[in-house]
Amino acid sequence: MNILVCVKQVPNTQEISIDPETNTLIREGVESIVNLYDGYALEAAARLKDTDKDIKIYVLCMGPPQAETALRECLSLSADVAYLATDRAFAGSDTLATSLILSQSIKWIEGHEGIKFDAIFCGKQAIDGDTAQVGPQIAEALGLPQVTYGYTCECKGDELHILKETEEGKELVAVKFPCLATFTKPSFEPRMVSAKRRFAAKKMEIKHITAEDLEGIDRTKIGLKGSPTRVKKSFVPQARKSGTIFRGEEQEQSARELAKLLVENGLIVSIGEGG
Amino acid sequence: MQQYNSLTPELIAELEKITPGRVVVEEKINPDYGRDEMPIYGQRIPSATIDVLSTEEVSGIMKLCYDNNIPVTTRGAGTGLVGGCVPILGGVVICTARMTNILRWDDDQFAVYTQPGVLLQDLKAAALQRGLMYPPDPGQKLGTIGGNVSTNAGGMRAIKYGTTKDYVRGMTVVMPNGEIMKLGKNVIKTSMGYNLTQLITGAEGTLGVITELTMKLIKAPKFEISVMAPFSTLAPALDAVPAIFKSFRPTALEFFEREILILSEEYVGKKVWPREVEGEPVQAYLLLIFDGDSMDEIEPHLERITDFLLEAGAMDVMIADTPNKIQDIWSVRSVFLDAIFESHKLYDENDVVVPIYKIREYVEFFVKEAEQYDFDVCYLGHAGDGNLHIFGVSNTMEEEEFKRQIDLWMWAMYDKAKELDGELTGEHGIGFGKIAFYEDYVGMPVIELQQAIKKTFDPKMILNPGKVVFRSEGVQLPGDNNRPNRGKVDER
Amino acid sequence: MATTKDLWVFIETNSNGTPKNVGLELLNPGRRLADEQGGKLVAVVIAQDVSIAAKAAGDYGADCVLTVEGPEYENYSTDAYTAVFAYLIKKHEPLTLMIGATGNGRDLAPRISCRVETGLTADCTELSIDEQTGCIAWTRPAFGGNIMATILCTQHTPQMGTVRPGVFKRPQLVPREAEIIKESFAFDPNDIRTRVVEVLAEVTEKVDLEGAEIIVSGGRGLGDAVGFNLIRSFAKSIGATVGSSRAAVEAGWIAHAHQVGQTGKAVSPRIYIACGISGAAQHLAGMSSSETVIAINSDPDAMIFSIADYGVVGDLYKILPILQEEFRSKLTV
Repeated sequence: MNILVCVKQVPNTQEISIDPETNTLIREGVESIVNLYDGYALEAAARLKDTDKDIKIYVLCMGPPQAETALRECLSLSADVAYLATDRAFAGSDTLATSLILSQSIKWIEGHEGIKFDAIFCGKQAIDGDTAQVGPQIAEALGLPQVTYGYTCECKGDELHILKETEEGKELVAVKFPCLATFTKPSFEPRMVSAKRRFAAKKMEIKHITAEDLEGIDRTKIGLKGSPTRVKKSFVPQARKSGTIFRGEEQEQSARELAKLLVENGLIVSIGEGG
Repeated sequence: MQQYNSLTPELIAELEKITPGRVVVEEKINPDYGRDEMPIYGQRIPSATIDVLSTEEVSGIMKLCYDNNIPVTTRGAGTGLVGGCVPILGGVVICTARMTNILRWDDDQFAVYTQPGVLLQDLKAAALQRGLMYPPDPGQKLGTIGGNVSTNAGGMRAIKYGTTKDYVRGMTVVMPNGEIMKLGKNVIKTSMGYNLTQLITGAEGTLGVITELTMKLIKAPKFEISVMAPFSTLAPALDAVPAIFKSFRPTALEFFEREILILSEEYVGKKVWPREVEGEPVQAYLLLIFDGDSMDEIEPHLERITDFLLEAGAMDVMIADTPNKIQDIWSVRSVFLDAIFESHKLYDENDVVVPIYKIREYVEFFVKEAEQYDFDVCYLGHAGDGNLHIFGVSNTMEEEEFKRQIDLWMWAMYDKAKELDGELTGEHGIGFGKIAFYEDYVGMPVIELQQAIKKTFDPKMILNPGKVVFRSEGVQLPGDNNRPNRGKVDER
Repeated sequence: MATTKDLWVFIETNSNGTPKNVGLELLNPGRRLADEQGGKLVAVVIAQDVSIAAKAAGDYGADCVLTVEGPEYENYSTDAYTAVFAYLIKKHEPLTLMIGATGNGRDLAPRISCRVETGLTADCTELSIDEQTGCIAWTRPAFGGNIMATILCTQHTPQMGTVRPGVFKRPQLVPREAEIIKESFAFDPNDIRTRVVEVLAEVTEKVDLEGAEIIVSGGRGLGDAVGFNLIRSFAKSIGATVGSSRAAVEAGWIAHAHQVGQTGKAVSPRIYIACGISGAAQHLAGMSSSETVIAINSDPDAMIFSIADYGVVGDLYKILPILQEEFRSKLTV
């Protein structure tokens, strides 16, 4: 069985902050990481592989050549083969254009390797863009059924059973292979990098896929120009203003004054059980 | 016998003049001010607590208490483990936890001037933002820097960077009589007489009240990698430790066991560490840190240490080289103590230090020794420096019986540590809970020499009385009841 | 390209046919934007029984309700719902399509956008008309809430976006008869390629942060999991729902379902009380559209104070009990 995991290299958004003088993102010194949710998708694939050694895990990333680092991390975790879709023509793609490039790349890999993917796994969203769109769009582009927000999965005959998050709780959903699933944070952390795998991964070849390779792709539908959406502007959200903050030494007094204000201003209007 | 006075309403009014609105008395006292994290060594609510904000306030309080013979105990965040900040004789508790200002950075001479209440985690984070590092790395990051200095806290990076004492360059200290002393300078070398900053470091607040510190910093290494090796038994892991230092220079080298890891993972609600490798259960782990200014500097060591560990019997070797992974694995390591405390009603511990090539012998000794008792044992250690954390825990025993059995076990463990040329405590201190053992461990001539020093600093014995080198009369100490029969330690 | 200027809002339903909040909320900005673009505000209801949701859509201001009914639509499925939308869009050619950014909405919208080849903007929090192009200006947070981006889709229709629940208020309810257009579109249930094997009862309590009127959230400043007992008791006394910061969830003190922020829920309650929460951008991204923010934190420099309408610098363990006591004495008759 062959599983392809799509990964994205993203800036560690937990470290990003705003320069108060220029009101712009400070990206300097912020390292690039494998998108957390893609890590969960890879772990889901790895756990399938743990139970079935015949499973082969491929990883695919679209990005600049530096994104090889992300792919090497995947190789050192559990992936067997890595592909990087990289071309200037891909730059600036929005989610629809990205999903077109990725779905075409997936077909290209299938041709190149002489295989068919039984399942495609993605993170539920990337932590920089947070759109959660590329997974379902790849599924649509490839005509595959999709299950989103998976925690864990297992193979049951010709079906993949996915435990997924819903608004009400959890659901176990079955879908026939081939299919696409996106994953969110499960109750465990992905495995740690095995040192031996890590050293081996350093030496492994990462195959590049360029626009040239994707013969069938409509060039007018990729990159910045081919993207249906464009960013008109970006800005730092207007800060709310600070109001009445009690900063006195007498906390107790402050608390009483605050309570008085909240009641007088009609904010807290009733007190119930336990009050 | 030392005579102390009680705090009268008049004296409280005087204190109120020095620190208006911050003198807390009677039932308004926060009970946390009467204990640290090891309540088994006793708790006592003092007569008054004061959150101080400045050197001058501390000086005023000390002078008043000195003149009136009122005991004073200083505390920071109260994260100690030997009852060091518990006001066992009552009196006034001075809390420096609100002196949280970082006063000045010296970016040329790599140092920070800070008030003592700054939390370790905040000091580290603030330094890091300037590309600097405060290297001492005790597991408890919520302690204050003042408390760290007062116990000479050690932590995980001592093997490469030393302990807190190596980072104290200067301090402002309020003497028991209220006099303000400025000791030490922000320079690298000094050869001037007795080294008082080093004497006060680790004195557990018995010689003076630290109100300002000048702490050395270093340029922060740019890269850090954690290497983790699971073992199917503890012995080969411990045997590997001395050999590691012959070929490698890790920043930290820790060991711990399966049980403690599971407790901690449950405590933080994360499953990060492998509990089995290819179906075989993991019993023990070694965890190493390597740091450096470039990955090229670290990388060659990684392949070699991997081969070395596998050769030494590791089931696998894992590497954490991304911030998330590093955070994941250390988030589990950093809560070991909390996890143990949280999951047990009764607990006691020690932190002996033995030479690293004797760790295995020591571990085998105390585990075997504990078999005759009803409590359970868990332990971990800074394998790289031989400093162990050994816990006796129980959820089922009666407290008195627990204490009795623990006493017996502690005496045996300290005797063994002495036999192996170790020390009684590596980083927790003597405080209140370890005095009886300490007296026995070093012998009365050493104790008396230290008592003489104490008396020179504090002739009226008002500062943190009944701690470290002076037991207070009539107060029962842990260990006293179950002292092994080897004759009287000394006349007191 | 679209031949109409109509703006569509998907009224997502529960399996019993009742509408979810977010669809009705979207009729509010939908009304404004449709008017500005000179088109109709159309609600789309797909369900086994559309009557309740269709009536509600009309009452909340839709000019017209497009309905598709059938047993195959009782529960949401990607395959059936995508097919319905593809059919409806092709037939009616709306200018704009807005979908609530619920779990299902975020599953469905990208699928539709790819099938009809148009642009989609996810998780919007602000909506307006771009003056230059007349297109919808979709504004959304990115980079962990650190920046906002305004996105246009000028060459493709329908312009699509998903919008976060709780950002907009429902419009005024005015009972009236909207035009109902019944579309018949059957989807063979055998073509639904996913099958729910089992619905697992949620072991953790159900947390309705998005619908909460008051939220009391705890963060790192609580110090430990036990601290949430105080938060719970305080919240209960004022009828609030319990939220938390990411730090508290990561420390294992409370379940993820309570998390407010970029990686948790986006909320906009009437009152948000942040206790021991420093106010990192990730957290602010999820709660800064609250009407009134009240902060309690021992760090006077905590970011949260800079956006709080009210606040006390101090120990929450002291302050919350006093607030509770004061509310009781002031509000109990």
